[in-house]
Amino acid sequence: MLDLALIGFFGLLLLMGLKRPFIWVLLYIYVDIVAPQKVGWGIIQSLPLSLMAFAAAFCGWLLLDSKQGSRFTFRQGLILLLLAYCAMTTLMAQFPEAAQVKWDWVWKAMIFAAFLPLTLRTKLRLEAAALVMALAVGAIVINGAMKTVLGGGGYGTLSLLVDENAGLYEGSIISTAAIATIPLILWLARHGTIFKPEWKVWTFAGAFVFACLLIPIGTSARTGLVCIAFLGAFMLRSVKYKFVYAGFAGLALIAAIPFLPQSYLDRMGTITNHQSDQSASTRLAVWSWTLDYAARNPLGGGFDAYRANSFTYHTIETTEVGGNVMRDYTEVTEEARAYHSSYFEMLGEQGWPGLIIFLWLHALGAWQMERIRWRFAKRENGRKSWQYGMATALQQAQLTYLVGAAFVGIAYQPFIFMLVGLQCGLWSYIQRVEAKPAKARFTRPGSEVPKPAEA
Amino acid sequence: MIDYFTIALTHGLIALAAFRLLWRDNLDREDLPVPGEAEQSPKGPEGR
Repeated sequence: MLDLALIGFFGLLLLMGLKRPFIWVLLYIYVDIVAPQKVGWGIIQSLPLSLMAFAAAFCGWLLLDSKQGSRFTFRQGLILLLLAYCAMTTLMAQFPEAAQVKWDWVWKAMIFAAFLPLTLRTKLRLEAAALVMALAVGAIVINGAMKTVLGGGGYGTLSLLVDENAGLYEGSIISTAAIATIPLILWLARHGTIFKPEWKVWTFAGAFVFACLLIPIGTSARTGLVCIAFLGAFMLRSVKYKFVYAGFAGLALIAAIPFLPQSYLDRMGTITNHQSDQSASTRLAVWSWTLDYAARNPLGGGFDAYRANSFTYHTIETTEVGGNVMRDYTEVTEEARAYHSSYFEMLGEQGWPGLIIFLWLHALGAWQMERIRWRFAKRENGRKSWQYGMATALQQAQLTYLVGAAFVGIAYQPFIFMLVGLQCGLWSYIQRVEAKPAKARFTRPGSEVPKPAEA
Repeated sequence: MIDYFTIALTHGLIALAAFRLLWRDNLDREDLPVPGEAEQSPKGPEGR
């Protein structure tokens, strides 16, 4: 039944794409985030939905869509450069089989990110892509939030739509992605034209944001809390009534504490006391191991190079018994620990060149969004324009994700590459549309016959 | 139950959005005047 519904939905969007090929691009965004082939139980698992959607999106663009206004931006070049570099390290990987497995999904995410901006030629397409991204994340987030409210949460125990720690369905990853989606939801509610701002849209958006905030609680992922704190502070920069916002945020926080489950508070308490926490100790150990590894292999060890690590360290447990402080040292040996940070993931797997390209790609994106903000802030009512709002939202989403990424290895997630693709699309759109009046001055009067309006 | 509800809700909204896009000519080109919308203008309808 579920399978039929999901296949029906996929088929429906395929059909709609016959009239508007861009819908196939939206379909791929949906498939890549929700992974319906994993949600269903039966035949849907054997269908190559992702490949079908990508083939439709790409062929639709190539054969049916107009290329007018499609531009290749510098950042898309950086993505392809990173892709080529990853291909090289995969060929020379220390663990060729594992590297191949990761390569199989990474290249798709990167190719799509380089391709997406070419299709985002109009404002409505930018909006539609952001909307489908948000709603697709919503399928996972709203589900997880409802289960959290009804009491199914806990670290590693909250069952999302898919019972598998793959893709976005892993606790820390979905927490980061959920919080990073909040700015997009707010922008869509304010500037949407597909679902225009009205009370129904605002009610849904409010509930959706609340659901996003519940995910780090439901999954007890500390990364999510860091993301909430960052986004909360960072949004202070762009809200109009800063004191009112800060006041409400503070009140909301105080009001929320009594409702947080004890298991969650206990786990969050370990953020500051990392010595007694194995997960945090491992992180520090893996990070220092990665620095050594990069010194020996500056060009990177290929995907999953972390499998080479193994270390022994001590955790310290402090207990107080009758006024005496007892310290228990426990020796722990671990092997093949994952990076637990996207930056170290990049450094270990793609070496210094890969890390530099990755940082360049993201720094340039944040900078371009900032320039769009400056550009429109100078205009009368420019801060209320959709361009200013979208640049702000994409910057907030990207930076929130990158903060979370410091604690989870999510450098190649399709979600962040889609955000990058949206940024490239917005940047190229604004460059093109804003440059128009200047260029038009050089055309000879009367040289262009105005086209009759088509029906 | 929750799974069915969230799938129905979010997929319904995506389908509705796609359906609305079918009738929007400014999805594919912006040089056509769209009645009631002045989206290229940075001052836009939000300037009200």
